[in-house]
Amino acid sequence: MNAAQAHVPAPDGGPVLRAERLGKAFGGVTVLSEVTLDIRPGEIHAIIGENGAGKSTLMRLLSGYLQPSDGELLMDGAPIRFHTPSHAQSVGIALVHQEILLAEALTVAENIFIGREIARFGRLDERAMREAAAAQLAAIGCSVSPRARVGDLSIANRQLVQIAKALLGTHRVVIFDEPTAVLTHEEVDPLLDIIRALKQRGVAILYISHRLDEVERLADRVTVLRDGRMVGTYEAEGLTPQRMASLMVGREFASLYPPKLEPELGEPALEIAHAHVPGFVNDVSLTLRKGEILGLAGMIGAGRTELFEGLLGLRPASFGEVRLHGRPVHFRSPAEAARAGLGYLTEDRKGKGLLLGERLAPNLTLAALDRVHPFARLDLAGEAQQLDRAVRSYDIRLRSRDARAGQLSGGNQQKLLLAKVMLNDPTVLVIDEPTRGIDIANKSQIYAFIQSLVREGRSCIVISSEMQELIGLCDRILVMRSGRINGELSGDAMSESNVALYATSSVARERALEENAHG
Amino acid sequence: MADVAAAPPRAQHNWSIGWGDAGPFLALAALVAIGYLINPDFLSANNIANVVTRSAFIAIIAIGATFVISSGGLDLSVGSMAAFITGVMILFMNTVAPSVGTAAIPLGMAVALVTGIACGLLNGTIVTVGRIEPFIATLGTMGIFRALITYMTDGGTVAIDRSLRDAYRPVYFGDVLGVPIPILVSLAVALVAAYVLYRTRYGRRCVAVGANEDVARYSGISVTRIRITAYVIQGACVAIAAICYVPRLGAATPTTGLLWELQVITAVVIGGTALRGGRGRVWGTVAGAVILEFIANLMVLSDFVSEYLVAAVQGVIIIIAMLIQRMSKR
Amino acid sequence: MLRNALIAAGVTAALLATGPASAAEKKVIAVSIPAADHGWTAGVVYHANAAAKEINKAFPGIEVIVKTSPSASAQVSAIEDMSATRKMDALVILPHSSEELTTPVKTIKEKGTFITVVDRGLNDPHIQDLYVAGDNIAVGFNTAKFLVEKMGGKGNLVVLRGIPTVIDDERIKGFQDGIKGSDLKILDIQYANWNSDEAFKLMQDYLAKYPQIDAVWANDDDMLLGVLEAIKQSGRKDIKFALGGNGMKEIIEKVKAGDAMTPVETPYPPSMIKTAIYLTAAHFAGHAPVRGALKLDAPLITKDNAEEYYFPDSPF
Repeated sequence: MNAAQAHVPAPDGGPVLRAERLGKAFGGVTVLSEVTLDIRPGEIHAIIGENGAGKSTLMRLLSGYLQPSDGELLMDGAPIRFHTPSHAQSVGIALVHQEILLAEALTVAENIFIGREIARFGRLDERAMREAAAAQLAAIGCSVSPRARVGDLSIANRQLVQIAKALLGTHRVVIFDEPTAVLTHEEVDPLLDIIRALKQRGVAILYISHRLDEVERLADRVTVLRDGRMVGTYEAEGLTPQRMASLMVGREFASLYPPKLEPELGEPALEIAHAHVPGFVNDVSLTLRKGEILGLAGMIGAGRTELFEGLLGLRPASFGEVRLHGRPVHFRSPAEAARAGLGYLTEDRKGKGLLLGERLAPNLTLAALDRVHPFARLDLAGEAQQLDRAVRSYDIRLRSRDARAGQLSGGNQQKLLLAKVMLNDPTVLVIDEPTRGIDIANKSQIYAFIQSLVREGRSCIVISSEMQELIGLCDRILVMRSGRINGELSGDAMSESNVALYATSSVARERALEENAHG
Repeated sequence: MADVAAAPPRAQHNWSIGWGDAGPFLALAALVAIGYLINPDFLSANNIANVVTRSAFIAIIAIGATFVISSGGLDLSVGSMAAFITGVMILFMNTVAPSVGTAAIPLGMAVALVTGIACGLLNGTIVTVGRIEPFIATLGTMGIFRALITYMTDGGTVAIDRSLRDAYRPVYFGDVLGVPIPILVSLAVALVAAYVLYRTRYGRRCVAVGANEDVARYSGISVTRIRITAYVIQGACVAIAAICYVPRLGAATPTTGLLWELQVITAVVIGGTALRGGRGRVWGTVAGAVILEFIANLMVLSDFVSEYLVAAVQGVIIIIAMLIQRMSKR
Repeated sequence: MLRNALIAAGVTAALLATGPASAAEKKVIAVSIPAADHGWTAGVVYHANAAAKEINKAFPGIEVIVKTSPSASAQVSAIEDMSATRKMDALVILPHSSEELTTPVKTIKEKGTFITVVDRGLNDPHIQDLYVAGDNIAVGFNTAKFLVEKMGGKGNLVVLRGIPTVIDDERIKGFQDGIKGSDLKILDIQYANWNSDEAFKLMQDYLAKYPQIDAVWANDDDMLLGVLEAIKQSGRKDIKFALGGNGMKEIIEKVKAGDAMTPVETPYPPSMIKTAIYLTAAHFAGHAPVRGALKLDAPLITKDNAEEYYFPDSPF
């Protein structure tokens, strides 16, 4: 299939915005070339591709943050150059950023009008701004008060405020850059409804996302990028996520997940009884068996991360009893846990996992300094060997030994973090959101690593908000809701609908139990 | 994989080191060249020895501050602490001198070190265990130490006993093979500090805590212990500086060490240590301290700055030195 | 230092012991001065406490109370509190700053309190009944005249000045007036903030810069200590005189001992507070008019009269 034949005629009239053989190079490095695509009114056009495929560059070219080095943009058929983002904005191109760029200390209305304040005779007209903000929010079905402080809002509501802000004024094209990346599963649907409503009003939508299932549900057409080039534009009808992934990676993908082992479940590796983490976890007990991959599902805020932060002594918590390989343990710090053989990979690899400005070797050994350097003096040669070994075993791709952790792609950062925790040779590993924000190829590698760790006789708990990941990887799934374990699934019962049911509803538990009893 | 294309190409330059670390030394070299052009006497052995010797106190204290700052802390109390340690040391030596003679000097040095370590421990404990912002906590102890020295001296001067004066004098005014002792002391302190910061587990952890407290904590590092240790190192450095300082004027007064904290922080920052933590440069700090003292020296040696404008010109030169440093990083 | 604390405790105890009944009959002289934060103010505190002790003992009908304040605003609060809580027949005040203290002192004056102002004048001279001050111009002028005479009217000088204030300006002006007409030449003049350390550094730099320096004048004795140390270290023999000013006891000791480099001293003695307290006490005890202004001269202190200016127990 090639790009030319994939083009589909516009449903009515011409495209609002058209990219014609668009390209971009930084210095001598070409990061995007020969991209040709139409953005049509009343249509949702998705852009997919792996990290580094050129999605963000394309989006920045279309919204005036970057100037193309090749090709041109056409608006309503006439060539146009966007000198600045505000220029693009003024002709009706709105961009909803991936990160939430709002001032937390200011109110919703103040954020929406930041830089575009309404003033009368130099005096801010707060009332006019509040009213306009309220109208703007109502238009996208968001009910937060314009007076609310952004810092007090949920992430989902902040995202909506950000969208309201982007949609202020006239807009003919709205570009969404991974708008659901920061949202939990149940927060996604309302957002997709808003996007569909915009489409109904004849707005042209460009939708960039990693979540292929969303793309499948939402998009009319899909453009696939790979390594800075266009693979093609396809009708979404009949395009499965599997097919999309294959197009993105350039080879066929049988499955993201390694085939499940028939685990020979051994002795209990980690037993937690009656865990309480004030404000987060209420009387949770669980058992992880040797050689098992145990999934922990639930919404953000269900208390999954906090349970283990409490276990590691990172926040106040009390436990009825904790046993590691049968021995009672009590950890006051992650160091004690590591010495006992319990490793924890944080969900927040940039904030809590790696020193982004440091080189790789110090990052690798930071949690195992006493192990790698038996004396107070640093053994730099030994450390370099450790890095070589980690790079080989975990397939960490880096440009140079002197690279800083922050320069690695998300997937390689995650592998480095995994290598870092594994330096302490844990027998029980807790991995919190193992693949958040990383691309498909790295995801599948990390799943394979996790499985090989278990094959070596270790045991693993995987905390994830991606239900498919847990279903594909785990032997058993516990679903947490509001600080309690709300259900346990294994075998064929591990389905998205069951996980979602337990994660969101407490009555679901009884019903499921009932069904089990009858079935 | 997608790695190479993912990061913007110029990122590599941003991270490259070498020239960036050379910044303070380039600034120092430029200053020496300018100094020579302004007044050839500037490069006379005597003047250089004087100025570098003078910079020893700030350099030694600033080396300690390099640990505190790179671990993400701040210590505003160092100037007052220096005065306080000086006072304690002199009073102690004067008390024991009649019975032990000049043995009072090494005993006094030990007392100074113990006092410095205790002061550092106090600062560190307030900051970590008390969970008080370092700025506020050390602003508090700054006032406390300053008031204590004022109380000890009755607002006036406590001078070292005459019987000890001459025996102790060489610690500031003496030299070994022509190199003044304070310079040797600060070089020794810098060597040890550089070793600790760059080549030991403690140094690694110290910088990690400053770079990102959460990462350090999740990596099993006791942030409290690392921070307190940094403040203790700072206290010990202040004590070493005080030990070299006492023989210079032989007295402690309420104005001893006044505003040294600002000079110390300036030296550390000129030297390339990040004020927000996570990056420490011991030799840069030493260069920074020498730069500050050279600037003051040049102000006097040159004839074209009005006495009323000296502070303004110093400010401009410090900013230019920082700019040279910043540009050499690109 | 303990001793002073004991005195303070003693004064407090004495005040408590006398009680309100007898206090009502006594004439109360309140003394408000800056807290000791450097040598000279420490001297002021010492002499004020000494005067209080002596007068309380010598004149049963008079009670002197001393209050120190670390800043101008604290001093305002202190005198307001004193006047609000007790009868105050006289206030002897060495103001932190003229601007901030003028109005509060005027308010107290309006209640009929006798006002003695020391050293720094208030903005409105009509407020004071008695003014006692040293002569900063004379400090500079007399030192200059001594140098002109001893050096035969010619030579190279370097000068260290303090912190930009009226006191500093007056001393420098007096000095410049004093060398006018002679061939004494000021090679350099820089600020060293009345601080020994900074004076030490500045003197080192002067010595590096000028191959021939005949005399040094530091306009305060704290700075002179640093200057002397720098000269000693350099081993230079060209400097004939190194003079200071203020009357610090270490320097007076040198003068008494006949030091060659520092043979004279000019007083700006912190004991002026004592003079002022005694004069105020005289107003109540002596039945003689003491209203007016008293400018203490700054005569040269030499070996012969040094004893008069020497207070071995004073911290300054």
